[in-house]
Amino acid sequence: MSPSSIIITYSLLFLFLVSLCLFGFIVVRRVVLERRQAWFRKVYEQIEKDVLQAISLFDSDFSLEVARKHKAHHEVLIQVLLDFGDIIVGEGKDQLRIIFNHAVKNRCLKRLSPWRTAKRLQSVRLFIIFFDPAESPVLFRLLEDKPIIKLAVINALSRIPSPDTLEYIFRAFETDLGFTVHAYFNIMFGLGNRIEPLVRQSLTKALSTDKLGLLVELIGTIPLRNLHEEVVALAAHPDKEIRVRVARALGKLLIPETAGTLAALSRDEAWEVQAQAVKSLAKIKSREALDILTKALFSPFWYVRYNAGYGLAEMGEEGLERLKQMASQPDDRYARDMSVMVLNDLILPGEAT
Amino acid sequence: MSSVLHMIVHSVNIIILAYFFLINAFYLLFILLSLVGLFRHREYVRFVNFKEVFRFPLVKPISIIAPAYNEEKTIGESVRALLALEYPVFEVIVVNDGSTDRTLDILIESFALEKSKRVFRKVMDHKPVKGIYTSRVHPKLVVVDKVNGKKADALNAGLNISRYPLFCGIDSDSLLEKDGLLKMVRPFLEEPEKTVAAGGIIRLSNGCSIRGGQVEQVRLPRNVLARFQVIEYFRAFLGGRIGMSMLKSMLIVSGAFGLFRKDIALQCGGYRTGTVGEDMDLIVRMRRHLHNMRKPFEIRFVPDPICWTEAPETLKSLSRQRNRWHRGLIETLFYNRIMLFNPRYGVTGLFAMPFYFIFEMLGPFIEVVGYVVFAVCIGIGLINSWFAILFFLFAVVLGTLLSLLSMLLGEYSGRQYPRLQDILVLTMFSLVENIIYRQWLTLVRVAAFIDFYRGKKEWGTIQKKGFAPAG
Repeated sequence: MSPSSIIITYSLLFLFLVSLCLFGFIVVRRVVLERRQAWFRKVYEQIEKDVLQAISLFDSDFSLEVARKHKAHHEVLIQVLLDFGDIIVGEGKDQLRIIFNHAVKNRCLKRLSPWRTAKRLQSVRLFIIFFDPAESPVLFRLLEDKPIIKLAVINALSRIPSPDTLEYIFRAFETDLGFTVHAYFNIMFGLGNRIEPLVRQSLTKALSTDKLGLLVELIGTIPLRNLHEEVVALAAHPDKEIRVRVARALGKLLIPETAGTLAALSRDEAWEVQAQAVKSLAKIKSREALDILTKALFSPFWYVRYNAGYGLAEMGEEGLERLKQMASQPDDRYARDMSVMVLNDLILPGEAT
Repeated sequence: MSSVLHMIVHSVNIIILAYFFLINAFYLLFILLSLVGLFRHREYVRFVNFKEVFRFPLVKPISIIAPAYNEEKTIGESVRALLALEYPVFEVIVVNDGSTDRTLDILIESFALEKSKRVFRKVMDHKPVKGIYTSRVHPKLVVVDKVNGKKADALNAGLNISRYPLFCGIDSDSLLEKDGLLKMVRPFLEEPEKTVAAGGIIRLSNGCSIRGGQVEQVRLPRNVLARFQVIEYFRAFLGGRIGMSMLKSMLIVSGAFGLFRKDIALQCGGYRTGTVGEDMDLIVRMRRHLHNMRKPFEIRFVPDPICWTEAPETLKSLSRQRNRWHRGLIETLFYNRIMLFNPRYGVTGLFAMPFYFIFEMLGPFIEVVGYVVFAVCIGIGLINSWFAILFFLFAVVLGTLLSLLSMLLGEYSGRQYPRLQDILVLTMFSLVENIIYRQWLTLVRVAAFIDFYRGKKEWGTIQKKGFAPAG
């Protein structure tokens, strides 16, 4: 046999063996995963039964016994505690805390530092669910960790209604360089009116446009009506994005005194601001809004006309009357088409019912 | 004379070997990167409940744009699947691009459509719109009937009519998994300013059973060509795209399933009409535009939202499809040639574009030359045994190894083939994929190059059977 034939034969053999190993690996992996899942389900059911009994008996000795009994199955126990910890409150939660403290707490403390992010996230969640003020330094230290851990901590901290945690969240927000608008927005939104003083305080600081925009958006979405003056003050901000957000926030706060600011924003140099201001004015439903929206139907910008059209539709009888007038006027084809479209859209849902 | 011939043959041999070694080495790198990426992603999503997106007040609404041309067999099922998607706020815009079959009639009958007087902002030019229809039973559905202008033109019409800041381009003969949008939108939530586009996985629906617009049972196709394509799709999406995305070099977000920021797409002038590779072209122009503007951006590949599509099952249809894809690639590289090897465009200009230029565009030529030289050398007795062995190792053995590894990627991704017999069959097909099938595809791509040179702009019709119902 020539060397080339030997190499080719061995190569083909190699490929055949690789494919055999690959197939074998896939089969074994599936079997192992299925067995592991079946075992996990079985143990989970056992632990779940005991935990349910513990939270209904309110007997700390029984809870201690459960902790001792299932300490060896810590992975499953952690999952059970995570599932129940989020939904159980009151005395039942105290029993869960006993199980956590005696069975898995030390393990979770150790797992706060390994390289596997998933395990760290699990541990962080458990520490937050069974929050003990004495352990807060451990959690706050994690605010210096990588973004995903940091966000998990902030997210979890937001469930603990203490002034300390709120301050930590805002401090993290103000200093965060790897800034994630979406994450902070959701966390802060969940905190509701409690954050009003902290938002007011943050607005006075030198924040980046993104962060400032987030706070304005937040004021509108929660809504934090007492902060409307701070929002109005930002209507002259040089950044267009901030002015858009101011217009949007005012449309959500629905304070009649801010109609003047919105009227001014509807004449802004940027069409994006005009479009948002027109939309918000329609929500406030002030008398002067009717004229502004009717005029906006003649705007050279499609989005302004679009928002003005649907805005008039939102304003009830008078708005509809204006739309009908605009739909029959011969001077401006664009204003007419937009009015016809809005009127047409209003009829359709009526027919559907 | 003989020594000159020897020198030429030797030089050609070295180029061919280098090509095969490099392309397979790159794909091996992509597959290894993809394995890392898939592991990381799986670990991450274990702690993410995608349905939480419903609670997020800042989540951006999405316009789904589905161009349709002669899709009477699948359009009803596809639109029903789109309307049943799980996402807080979205609209479905089906653009009937001058179909000559009953596509529009089926839509009108199935969804109680009525002609609407809806007006839209014509940012981009497209062929005239004959009518806009809205549904009395599905407020999210809008159907645009327009004069035929090909896919890019239809997408532009859809873009003009769409209302939301994100849009998802999808083929109307594809099926999107119910939570596809929830998963796909994740990069836009994590980095709303930087993320401009995201792509998901395309899987083949041939052989699978479908119920209510959703794939119920994942099965391997019975057709031989479709089976080869399963391996190709694994390698391309789970290997190539995840790997390229990790190297920040993704140039293609499939036209069958991609999510884009509308403002950036509009700034780039929307889809380029008159090209058959509008999906790749849009991504390359987005990159070009954002590099020119010096804005940081991300184009991400998300490895778990799955879109199911039907693969062609005849040689004729498959060759038409691949011919079109390759012409699209050549056109995109040609129109954006200024970016090639240009450091101004960062990794796009110095790695992604050259990679596609050398290995994807010129690759078929080099491969064909390789096979021809190999055959000629055998014919005239000039064969160098080391060249033959290395050629075999780099072209066939390494290529087959990659196909086998892509099977592993398929196993680690979601919704794998549950039956072991399917895995066994796929393994066997991976072993033979690099023989005949690959060479045939190479010839198809060379033919595409000639068609491009002749100025061919046709899409070429692809025969489809429609989705197989469950039960």
